[in-house]
Amino acid sequence: MSNSYYEFFCPVKVIAGKAALEHIPYELSGLAAKRPMIVTDKGVRAAGLLDPIIAACEESGLEIVSIYDDVPPDSSTTVVRDIAAVYRKEKCDSIIAIGGGSAIDTGKAVNILVSEGGDEIAKYSGAGVLKRPLKPFLVVPTTAGTGSEVTSIAVITDEKKGVKLPFTSSYLLPNAAVIDPRMTLTLPPHITAATAMDAMTHAVESFTCMAKNPLSDAYAAAAIKKVSHSLLQVMDNPKDSDARLELAQASTMAGIAFSNSMVGLVHSLGHATGAICHLPHGLCMSLYLPYVLEYNLETIRGPLGELLLHLEGPEIYSATPASRRAEASISALRKLRDALYKRCQLPRTLKETGKVTEEQLDQIAEMALDDGSIMFNPKEVTLKDARAVLQRAWA
Amino acid sequence: MLAKRIQPMASQAKRLYVELMFQVMGRALQAVSEVDGEVQKEAQVLPEGFLFEMMVMPEGAKLIVEHIGGGRFHYHGDSAPRAVNVSIQFKHLTHAFMVLSFQEKTSIAFAHDRMLVDGDVSYAVRMTRVLNRLESFILPKIIAKRAVKEYPDNLHLPEKLISAAQIYLKVATHFIQTARA
Ligand SMILES: [Fe+2]
Repeated sequence: MSNSYYEFFCPVKVIAGKAALEHIPYELSGLAAKRPMIVTDKGVRAAGLLDPIIAACEESGLEIVSIYDDVPPDSSTTVVRDIAAVYRKEKCDSIIAIGGGSAIDTGKAVNILVSEGGDEIAKYSGAGVLKRPLKPFLVVPTTAGTGSEVTSIAVITDEKKGVKLPFTSSYLLPNAAVIDPRMTLTLPPHITAATAMDAMTHAVESFTCMAKNPLSDAYAAAAIKKVSHSLLQVMDNPKDSDARLELAQASTMAGIAFSNSMVGLVHSLGHATGAICHLPHGLCMSLYLPYVLEYNLETIRGPLGELLLHLEGPEIYSATPASRRAEASISALRKLRDALYKRCQLPRTLKETGKVTEEQLDQIAEMALDDGSIMFNPKEVTLKDARAVLQRAWA
Repeated sequence: MLAKRIQPMASQAKRLYVELMFQVMGRALQAVSEVDGEVQKEAQVLPEGFLFEMMVMPEGAKLIVEHIGGGRFHYHGDSAPRAVNVSIQFKHLTHAFMVLSFQEKTSIAFAHDRMLVDGDVSYAVRMTRVLNRLESFILPKIIAKRAVKEYPDNLHLPEKLISAAQIYLKVATHFIQTARA
């Protein structure tokens, strides 16, 4: 695999660690923002996650002018327009998105409308439409998985047309991502597991797919090490805030890695399965990861073998002959999945999900072939290949 | 300007080559869509009247084809009758030349950020598969292997296209030689 040319870009300031939330007022003032609006969902508010942020701002004399807490799991153009209207009415001047992938994507889209004007977000869909910086924008992730705080893409559903609109521009990137362990402390076990496996998949695919490069490799490897080291620790002791912070950082690092080197077939299959069977994204990632690595094995033997060091540590790495390391990496991931199954029944096969029928596999395979991420899979995938991987993932 | 004075011939040759290649590919795309079931199967999913463009930034050569229904493509030359649906844009003439002279695989070029996709990504993925199929069709196996990720094993060259392949090869080798010089 040639990496004779690459591009790497991540201008997001990362603010991470204990008492990170208390840096929000200072960061906003540095951006000349005085009237921030919070964009979030009901779950985040109910979990009390807004309280420390609001308190931190008030203590610095910064008033949160408006809170929109009704972002649905699948954000739509209507929601974006409504939020933009509130933003304008309340004369806000900046956005803080707090939540998982949907709240963050919504924040990005709202930022387009309130910066560029108008009510039609669809107009800005596509690549490279935006030509100038948007309003001050901070992101506080409350799951450790999607990495959306460092990606330059947002996906919003156009309900009327029934299509998903992609928006890509480096101007969608927030000015800062605030990673505070308090935000993920109450995440339930199955969501913790699934989202961490999403981060793991971002890192593994980034490290083994076609656009891999030395800089994204460094982020990906470090992310894999953190997830391998901390995920089970968090599962066994959910209140371990050090380990929680490790997962949250891993998620951001994996996000930086994959937004620069893209993902592959695990995501193609996962996106299709999510759309057809309505399974959570992280669950699909965990489910497909080993089967896809087995499919890609001969093309990615080198890099996959290197990952054993980060998955299992130096002792096992050095005790494993070089020719067996790629297989050992896959075994390590399978072992991790078994451990997660034991702790929170995170499904390892499509059958275990109880939500997929064998008849749906053809449809999933066909849809996966149309997914953009398939272009970056190191090995060419035909319909027959995709179907075979799905069959192996069945039971 | 300075670069122009230093390397006028090389750049001129690249430009000509890319223009010619777009023409060959456009015609071949139309021809292949008339005979090959695989290409038709891929193309059938595209809406009728769907316009696909490949171009070189900023205002360079263009290739435009339209899906006219039934999996058939019509080659429009370098001007589109209306706004295109999917556009693949090479960032620089050199990048287009590298891909079209098979020094960089299409998939690698995507991975290397050599080009941008504007429009529905799922259609762009589909068109990439069509182009891969086309390349393995009209190129001799040895060159096609350099152009696509994997060479399809179910490829049987129809008589009609074998001659196209020979013309293509002549054009390609000639230009690689002159442009590299
Ligand atoms: Fe993901």
